Amino acid sequence: MTIGVRYRLGVASRAVAAIFGGYGIAALSAAVLALCLPAAFGMARSEAAMTGTLASFAIFAFAVMWVFAARTALRAWSGLVIVAAPLAALLLLLMRTTGGAA
Amino acid sequence: MKEGFRQSMAWLHTWSGLLVGWVLFMVFAAGTASYFKDEITFWMKPELHAVAQNAVPPVKAVESAVAYLQQRAADSPRWFINLPNERQPSTDVLYLAPPAPAGAAAAVTGAKPGEKPRRRFDRASLDPATGEAVSAPRVTRGGEFFYRLHFDLHYMPALWARWIVGFCAMFMLVAIFSGIVTHKRIFKDFFTFRPKKGQRSWLDAHNVTAVLALPYHLMITYTGLVTLMFMYMPWGPQVAYKDRGGEQAFFSEAFPGGGRDQIKASGNRVPLAPIAPMMAQASAHWGGAAVGRVTVHQPNDANAVVSLTRAEGPQLSYDQPSMQFNGATGALIGAFGDVPKPAAETRGVLYGLHIGRFGDPLLRALFFLSGLAGCLMVATGLLMWAVKERQKFAKTLKRGGRVSFGLRLVDGLNLGAIAGLPVAMAAFFWANRLLPVDVAERGEAEIRWFFIVWGATAVLGLLRPTLRMWQAQLALGALLFAGLPVLNAFTGPAPLTVSLRTGPTSVAGFDLVVIALGLGLAGAAWIVERKRRKSIAKQAAAKTQPPPSTLATSGQGS
Amino acid sequence: MTTDSLLLGLVFAASLAGFCALSLAMDRHSEDVFGRGSTPGPWRRWLQLGGTALLCLSLGASLQAAGSAIGWVLWLGALTAAALTTVGLLSAVPGRFHWIASAAAVLALGAALLHLVLAALAAS
Repeated sequence: MTIGVRYRLGVASRAVAAIFGGYGIAALSAAVLALCLPAAFGMARSEAAMTGTLASFAIFAFAVMWVFAARTALRAWSGLVIVAAPLAALLLLLMRTTGGAA
Repeated sequence: MKEGFRQSMAWLHTWSGLLVGWVLFMVFAAGTASYFKDEITFWMKPELHAVAQNAVPPVKAVESAVAYLQQRAADSPRWFINLPNERQPSTDVLYLAPPAPAGAAAAVTGAKPGEKPRRRFDRASLDPATGEAVSAPRVTRGGEFFYRLHFDLHYMPALWARWIVGFCAMFMLVAIFSGIVTHKRIFKDFFTFRPKKGQRSWLDAHNVTAVLALPYHLMITYTGLVTLMFMYMPWGPQVAYKDRGGEQAFFSEAFPGGGRDQIKASGNRVPLAPIAPMMAQASAHWGGAAVGRVTVHQPNDANAVVSLTRAEGPQLSYDQPSMQFNGATGALIGAFGDVPKPAAETRGVLYGLHIGRFGDPLLRALFFLSGLAGCLMVATGLLMWAVKERQKFAKTLKRGGRVSFGLRLVDGLNLGAIAGLPVAMAAFFWANRLLPVDVAERGEAEIRWFFIVWGATAVLGLLRPTLRMWQAQLALGALLFAGLPVLNAFTGPAPLTVSLRTGPTSVAGFDLVVIALGLGLAGAAWIVERKRRKSIAKQAAAKTQPPPSTLATSGQGS
Repeated sequence: MTTDSLLLGLVFAASLAGFCALSLAMDRHSEDVFGRGSTPGPWRRWLQLGGTALLCLSLGASLQAAGSAIGWVLWLGALTAAALTTVGLLSAVPGRFHWIASAAAVLALGAALLHLVLAALAAS
């Protein structure tokens, strides 16, 4: 694989990570905030959902910046996974405990 | 990216800006124009310029509107009555067609889309004094066209357009953040602008228009995303309300008293209670503030509900408190939104900042100025990329070769997007006055001219992305804009000489602003002329040395 | 929004004067205005302090004129207009820059004084 092709693949890989991975992390954050803010601070449910959504765009932008600042494409993806995994786990936990209950 | 953080952010800034720059320029230009959309619409209805606008008591405006609606839409499940105000002298009514069989959900006017299928609604502009449909002025979309253009685009389903624009807005947000990171000398270069220094000047212009209006750019981009955030990022409400009524429940809790509540008809016909006492009670509750909108759910039914929303005022938030009354008896059901919850209020303020419907013209003028800075920021960024890229081809060009396809494409797109858009906007206004009044679908016809002209400039730009083409389009834009007051003088009752003395002030304002814009475009054409002469002089100097072949100067873009 | 023209004039004059002062505190723009090799010298701190103070004055006037929410929006908009004007002046008329800046500062301080006097008279 020539350096040129390698470079382009790297950029493409990061673009995918940034757009989809970044969105995923933003979405996860919005959902997690919506559920954990009421649990942790007693915030009203609609308020927490609103707050999570408002914050998500900044989180998306920071995720994108991380992806392109990381030294290699692999690091970029790894960084996203390292953040996404606990968020997803936390989300599942919160949904099970607070999601359905009245 | 093996380079440092600043350098990787520079790369990100370049590409996140370039890839969506052409769309963003249009979004900025159309959005900036929208701050004065009511005034633009008014200019485009010259039939109204001579008529004195007498203020009609709000109660009369509502009662005449109700009479109109009772005649035409007594069976409609929902009426919206938007009261006249300073910027919008007629009463705007909208009403839904009577419901189809079970399953059809009620639609809401434009602004909050995404989760329900939209149903047809009819609208009319009424004279507030008589309640009759205003038929005198020509049909035109007016300033609403630019407003809708900047997020609904055109000739495509609104949903697609909003995703496209949202995508571009997200890229823009990334471009702003990465731009801040990469601009090492942000304070040292705060006031720096060195004209006539080629690439340096482009960079200075880009930095100045970006940094000096940075609070605005950050605000407008983020708040733009916020206005459609429930469409782009519904996960918070969805997850939090998964087993509690879904998003509908979220909206009822977050925005109590809003028009989203579903009121079902009972089937018993009961005449609608008079609205005047409701308006008095609401105004009193709001400390004298006026009513802005009256929404009637299931009029002439036993379950009718009348919702009064406060008019726009000095508050920043877009969300206004409302009061609901029983539509059959006139009794108060409740007051909502008087003390909004913090996050909801934050969202309302962010929405209000983006919409910028400040009553005070000074504040709107400042927003307009910052919006223009935004347009220049995007334009200089795009042009700077082309200038830098062209340098890589300096040797090839000297030998008589051509630039890459990519650069030629960017050159052409830059031309069509930046120089062509003003020409198209001016053409829209010229079409407004030159198209016959009784042309079918007049509103769409004017819009078609906008796109025809823009398409033509884009095609010409792609075919010949030369300095001469830049000059031609910029000069044409300058002429068309500066000529608008002349056009107004010949096709309307309020030329500048009249409007400056006795009004309408908004017509005078429009005429003055387009002259200024024309001068600005002429200035840009002059800058291109200077550059053209400089590059001709450089080539003449180069010719005195024996060149390997005669120069076939192609692709002299920016 | 209640527009008190005096206060609004103050907002703009103070922002312009503030940014002009801050720019003159920089070597680069001192050179633009006073010629090559010139520096603000002992005036640098004073220009920086004065400039900042003028910007704060314009914020105060803005909050007074338009309330605690819209006042911030008005201030930021005025800052943008003032900063753009400062850059324009440095480019177009560097020779007269310090006169214009001084005039703006005098206008701003005068307007502030006038406003205080009028407010005191109205209160008494």
